[in-house]
Amino acid sequence: MAARSGPRNTRLLVVALVVASLTIITVDYRQGDSGPLAAMGRTARTFMAPLQEAVTNVTRPVGNFFSGVAHLPSLAQENTDLKQQLADAQARINATSQIEAQNQELLSLLNLKQSLRPPSVPAVVISNGMSNVNYYITIDRGSNDGVRVNDPVVTGNQDGARLVGIVARVTSISADVRLLIDEGFSVPGRLATSGETGLVVGNGDQDLTMQDIPATTTFPTGTSTESVFTITYSVGDQHSRFPPNILIGTVSSVVQGGVQPDATVSVRPAVDFSSLEAVLVLQTANGGSS
Amino acid sequence: MRRVLALIAVIVTAILLQSTVFSQLRLLGVRPELLYLVTILIALQEGPNEGAVVGFTCGLAQDMLLDQPMGITALTLTLLGYAVGMARQYIVSPSPLVPTIVVAISTALGVAFYEIVTFLLGQFEAGFTYAVKVALLTALYNAVLTPILAPLLRRIVEGSRPRRVVRL
Repeated sequence: MAARSGPRNTRLLVVALVVASLTIITVDYRQGDSGPLAAMGRTARTFMAPLQEAVTNVTRPVGNFFSGVAHLPSLAQENTDLKQQLADAQARINATSQIEAQNQELLSLLNLKQSLRPPSVPAVVISNGMSNVNYYITIDRGSNDGVRVNDPVVTGNQDGARLVGIVARVTSISADVRLLIDEGFSVPGRLATSGETGLVVGNGDQDLTMQDIPATTTFPTGTSTESVFTITYSVGDQHSRFPPNILIGTVSSVVQGGVQPDATVSVRPAVDFSSLEAVLVLQTANGGSS
Repeated sequence: MRRVLALIAVIVTAILLQSTVFSQLRLLGVRPELLYLVTILIALQEGPNEGAVVGFTCGLAQDMLLDQPMGITALTLTLLGYAVGMARQYIVSPSPLVPTIVVAISTALGVAFYEIVTFLLGQFEAGFTYAVKVALLTALYNAVLTPILAPLLRRIVEGSRPRRVVRL
């Protein structure tokens, strides 16, 4: 470390470090992912990934316990909500199967066959990110396993996939996934009942916002819930990053009326990001655009 | 050399803990900033010189793992380490609460500075209210951790000081 020295030397040292920081910011900002600093970052993440995996394996039970205690007040309410949602989901499954059959028929007619289940790579979450202003996780699969930048990441069970986010950066043995809730993250979505489409945007620890939904849209009332799924599109060279029909979340609140042409729609993510442990990386063919 | 290795071990441990254990232990949605805490405590104990150097190293290490332009955290923690190190000469109270209060205030200011720089670079899209909330809650979280981590860090730093040999 630096030797003890006078105030003048200290000021010179600080000025040198500040200049170094500003230089690093400028160089990294201009060169993006192709510069030497980005390569250093990849090396650092490659070095840290096994350590993070080891620490996560050892400390996960402890972390889960304290995380559960911290969430205790909300668990009772969540339990009630889930019971309600279970009843709704049962009714929706029947309707969904009919819609899927109809959808398949239409897709065949239009010769727009798309794979609903692209090849996928299972991965374990080894880090939940470091920043308070960005929402990322790190998974234990990288380019060696076929994971690429812009691959969608999902979780779920036999009932269907739920959207987690998208691969943002890749090293040979790990990958950083930008979560759906990250500020500015956007994904095209469709309301299950009305079929209206819009852009679902991340809001940090708040619910997602669904934009471009006309104020005249009809939403289910009472105990019924409205789900939001991904859609796929292709305009010229632009293709959506996400396969269709992945559950993004459920509508938590709607504000309609007034002079605004669009409704203000909030969407609660289908994934509990605080307890995410395993994910699937979908190896889509068009992972570079949009 | 022993001192450098000890500080590198402290920094790597802080990064590992923050990205694994403490990312699950969120306080009202916010996690602590352990590298801010390490920088502040070392600056408080060792002065502006080491505060700035440790801050720069901590910041650069954290920048390597963030999806932000590199150098922002390094810049923030360099200035934070220097400022806290300079401020310690004005702290005359022997109260054991002093480190906790200094950590709380410095963390809030440091996080706010980081948010302003990222905003100016177009990397911060959250609103003003969220930015203030993160700064205050992170400060609170770091303050809560100070009584636990400060003695441990003090022992490591003092134990790694080069021993003076006096020949008689």
